[in-house]
Amino acid sequence: MTEGHQSSYERLKSKSSLKDILAVAIEFERTARDFYSDLAPKVSKNIRYLVEELAEEEQEHYDLFTQLAKKPEIETLIEAEVETPASDHKFSDCVHLPDLGEKPDDQAVLQYALMREHAAMEQYTALAKSTKPGPIQALFKYLANEETKHKNELEKIYYETVHSGGV
Amino acid sequence: MSIRDVLSPFTVWKNILRDPVTIRDPLNERPGAARYRGFHKNDVEKCIGCGTCEAICQNAAIDMVAVEGRTAKGGDSGLRPRIDYGRCCWCALCVDVCMTGSLSMSNEYKWVESDPDAFRFTPGVDKKHWDNAELGYHRPEGHRLTLGTRVIMDELEPEQRIGSFVEMVNGYTVEQAQREADRCVACGLCIATCPTHMAIPDYIAAVRDGDYERGLALLYETNPFSEVCGRICTHKCEEACAVHHDGDPVAIRWLKRHITEQVPYEDYTKIVTKTAPDTGKRIAIIGAGPAGLTTAFDLVRQGHQVNVYEALDKPGGMTRYGIPEYRLPYNALDQDVGVITSLGVKIHYNTRIGVDIPMQQLRDENDAVVLAIGLQLGRSTRIPNSDHPAVHKAVDLLRKITLGEAFDIPRSAVVIGGGNVAMDIARSMARLQMQQYGEVQVTLTALEDRDHFLADPVEVKESLEEQIEILDSRGPQSCELDENGNLTGLKTWKVLSIFDEQGRFAPKFDSDDEQIHQGEMVIEAIGQMSDVSLLGDELTEALEWNRGRIAVDDQCRTSEPWLWSAGDCVNGPDVVHAVADGHQVAKSIKKWLNQVEVEAVQ
Ligand code: SF4
Repeated sequence: MTEGHQSSYERLKSKSSLKDILAVAIEFERTARDFYSDLAPKVSKNIRYLVEELAEEEQEHYDLFTQLAKKPEIETLIEAEVETPASDHKFSDCVHLPDLGEKPDDQAVLQYALMREHAAMEQYTALAKSTKPGPIQALFKYLANEETKHKNELEKIYYETVHSGGV
Repeated sequence: MSIRDVLSPFTVWKNILRDPVTIRDPLNERPGAARYRGFHKNDVEKCIGCGTCEAICQNAAIDMVAVEGRTAKGGDSGLRPRIDYGRCCWCALCVDVCMTGSLSMSNEYKWVESDPDAFRFTPGVDKKHWDNAELGYHRPEGHRLTLGTRVIMDELEPEQRIGSFVEMVNGYTVEQAQREADRCVACGLCIATCPTHMAIPDYIAAVRDGDYERGLALLYETNPFSEVCGRICTHKCEEACAVHHDGDPVAIRWLKRHITEQVPYEDYTKIVTKTAPDTGKRIAIIGAGPAGLTTAFDLVRQGHQVNVYEALDKPGGMTRYGIPEYRLPYNALDQDVGVITSLGVKIHYNTRIGVDIPMQQLRDENDAVVLAIGLQLGRSTRIPNSDHPAVHKAVDLLRKITLGEAFDIPRSAVVIGGGNVAMDIARSMARLQMQQYGEVQVTLTALEDRDHFLADPVEVKESLEEQIEILDSRGPQSCELDENGNLTGLKTWKVLSIFDEQGRFAPKFDSDDEQIHQGEMVIEAIGQMSDVSLLGDELTEALEWNRGRIAVDDQCRTSEPWLWSAGDCVNGPDVVHAVADGHQVAKSIKKWLNQVEVEAVQ
């Protein structure tokens, strides 16, 4: 079990602070970015673009989430307690790195990435639902939207890659 | 001059106070009759620029001209008819023949202009006050100069064909073909749509004239796979056919096939010959499918020595190992390939590059190498239990059927996919079941709804006729097993939508609408990919890639100067597209060899 997983598991309780939630979210993006960056040189060049794009995307999310956490309006709310949803376990599990084998193919990489994005999307949507309207809910909605956008992009790539032109 | 001569002009002044006997604009009170054939109108949005009006005009009063802001697109030349009223005799033949009904005539007949050039105008583009005139001459309903219905090609009835792999269509008789050829208006819109730009109106004219040798020569100008394409081409040209606007499109594909059938095969090699002297250049081609062999056909005729390396035991690639015999009999394919090899192309069968011959050796021993390896690997859904031994990929089974390799024919099978490959395997399986068990039990499930199937609608219709159960909007969830681990079928959910508002793939399912489709075998026909392992790590690293496929420029050149790549593996699955690629590669190699020669001289 990785360190990231342990710490997120620790946080599995009915309520977490916004600070903790954001920390897990940032960790979620960081581990993914590192995972894809490590994987890129190992996969065959014909599918490397995919892994590189994923690493870039996760880096963008990592930067975004880190900056968000530092925003003054968020910092003032950072200790606020938020109810953690049922999806929390699944989401935290995604911090745990997968074993896609030595040389995963494009489909395996895409399936893993889709699963992660889906878990993140569900998590933020549920968090938004469990909070009252206000800046915290707006933040979760924003994050859910970000993950949904990314998931949609990945689904398009999945369709183009796996369902090759409707043969 | 007399005094009378001087004064007489003034005598007319006496008329100044009399009532005029002429009227200023006499015809205002006399509009043209309701069906008068007056000035032309054209609905330029409806018009497709086919030029049939120009062709029929007996006075050469119509010219097709470019119109600012309007460009050619599939099925529309972008040109529009310009009428010259110095020539027009108002016969309205152009209106009667117009393929889209866009051209008509108003009942306006007066037009005063001091500039004679103004009387050459483009209706609908040069705005006129009669553009919205209701009255005038329109082609009467049901009145047409061309035949709207295509001549049906005879085919075997479903009950006759389902028990065997015999080709199901019979081909046109000469009389049928000439009747069908008569429907062509020779607009040529099809040429632009055909990837290899076949001279379609010309070869149809050859059918009309009964000059089949001319027809065959025309086919071979652009397509050495005319027997194949005459049967299984995706015939996008027919979608652009002007006749399609008012009836069935001309059966272009069947007419192509008809030409190939009318010329005795032994005469082919008299018509298709090699003309160039030997150049001493060597070209290696990997893959004996349509792309590779079209390249070979062109290059051998340029005088080069061409060797084709094929991993399997026969030529044709996916046209042999992916398309069932009832659609494309092997002898038709063999005849196309036979012409190519008769010109001197050498095909080395059962030879795998990267295994039997290293890629580097090909590079060292040849002036150019072409990679045309197709899309021979099937994709899997990877839903739970899709790794069960009774779950197969369609392309693997189709290959086995062609090779005659035995496998257990399931009493019931479920196919996943809604494209042509899904139909091919479903229909092949139905035939095998009929032969072995006397009944068909094949269910085909597709993500798409029936209106959006990726398969050719004719394939869907024929599959239904062959008792295949087709279920649309079903999303595969898992392959089902019994307690002993035997496959029992496929679980699907109803598809609510496949794409989101932006048109991106984002399937939504209704898990309450769950169905289990019984099957001893599940066959996946969702997509294909290339096996690029033959390239080896070093070349894979050296090459540029484009989203999983080898990157090529518009001449099919890869990033390595000695290597070209063409056909399905770079441009997706389509036979005639592969043929077009083959020509492109040959042209590019010719240019490259010339360039190398010039550089060597310098
Ligand atoms: S025949 Fe009709 S559709 Fe064709 S160019 Fe003339 S006006 Fe346009």
